[in-house]
Amino acid sequence: MSGKVRSMIQGVAVLACIALVCGLLLGAVNYFTYVDPLQPTLDRFTSDTGATFPEMTDEDGQEFENGRIVYYARSADGAYDAFLAAGGGGWGGEVQLYVYLQGGVIQKVVLGDNSETLWDTFESDFFDQFTGLDVCSADSFTESDVSTGATASRTIRAVARAIDAVVAYYNANLEGGSNG
Amino acid sequence: MDKAKIKETVLGGIIKNNPTFVLVLGTCPTIAMTTSLSQAFAMGVATTFVLIFSNLFISLLRGLIPDKVRIPCYIVIISTFVTIVRMVMQRFMPDLYGTMRAFIDLIVVNCIILARAESFASCNKPLYAALDGVSVGLGFTGALCLIGIVREFLAGGSFAGIAIPGFPAMSGTGASAFGFIVFGCLMALFNFIIQKLEARKEKMKRASLPLFDGKAEIVKEGTEK
Repeated sequence: MSGKVRSMIQGVAVLACIALVCGLLLGAVNYFTYVDPLQPTLDRFTSDTGATFPEMTDEDGQEFENGRIVYYARSADGAYDAFLAAGGGGWGGEVQLYVYLQGGVIQKVVLGDNSETLWDTFESDFFDQFTGLDVCSADSFTESDVSTGATASRTIRAVARAIDAVVAYYNANLEGGSNG
Repeated sequence: MDKAKIKETVLGGIIKNNPTFVLVLGTCPTIAMTTSLSQAFAMGVATTFVLIFSNLFISLLRGLIPDKVRIPCYIVIISTFVTIVRMVMQRFMPDLYGTMRAFIDLIVVNCIILARAESFASCNKPLYAALDGVSVGLGFTGALCLIGIVREFLAGGSFAGIAIPGFPAMSGTGASAFGFIVFGCLMALFNFIIQKLEARKEKMKRASLPLFDGKAEIVKEGTEK
């Protein structure tokens, strides 16, 4: 075996050994620090509603034309339907909203992760306008249904698309909806 | 154990080779993570942890790592410790992790860490390598905190999240461009102070030296003439 091949094999072997040891170390740390990726969302549902959400009812969510449902959970007492919805087409990409329903009526909408930059141009009670919206009687929700003095049209569109995803998901999958 | 080398290693990273103000390394997290003191401190501590342990491991393995694959080996070791920091922060400080997420992962490519691994840890004993990690980490953390204090005070009128009455926030000072201005001013101030101290030290050193023999002879010649 030539010296060049030997040094190459030696290099690869050392790198592989280091990678293996590092992998084992990471595995050990992960054992103690593992966080269920769904837990922060369930905690958020609980803190926003006061109800208990023992598990995610739908972990896979559903894609729609312009928005998607990331997660859906029903509270332990069955009173709340909680959604993490995302609307596409915003200035900074997706806008995520936490949407809470009771009996098919929106009770609360809370802003989630997003990269929009013009929130300070919106009214402080902007998300309150969605409270009371009966998703069973609505076929869809568009940006023309949003009432605001702000001119951030792409942000408004992304918010409307997130709400529209909730309307579509509820009517397609949950009882009480027009298609349910 | 060489006490002089320990002293030089410890003080070097904080003052003489301060990674932020003297070597101007790691500028990206310096600007991005110094909008508040808490973020700056957390970033500094995370980087210090990675520096200490990556330096220590690289120094321990320096005899085994072939020269040709040293950089991939260093990156594997550094990224392991960055991942550990990420896991720990995600588990115990989820809110802070949420705001620093991207920059924690980017510690892997922070040039301070790779520079110390390549220039110091790979050719020094583990104790010195670990001390260098502590020292450079403290220098980096200190610099970030200093910039963070100034930027938070100007942009938010607060110190460590506590509002200071009578000091309103100055609009526009929270921007990255202003961060560079603060960084530049503090860098100039730091280097000015260091130079002054060194000049003073040199002066005192010269004053304490005995009169040079050659000088004495010149004086003698002058009086004879």
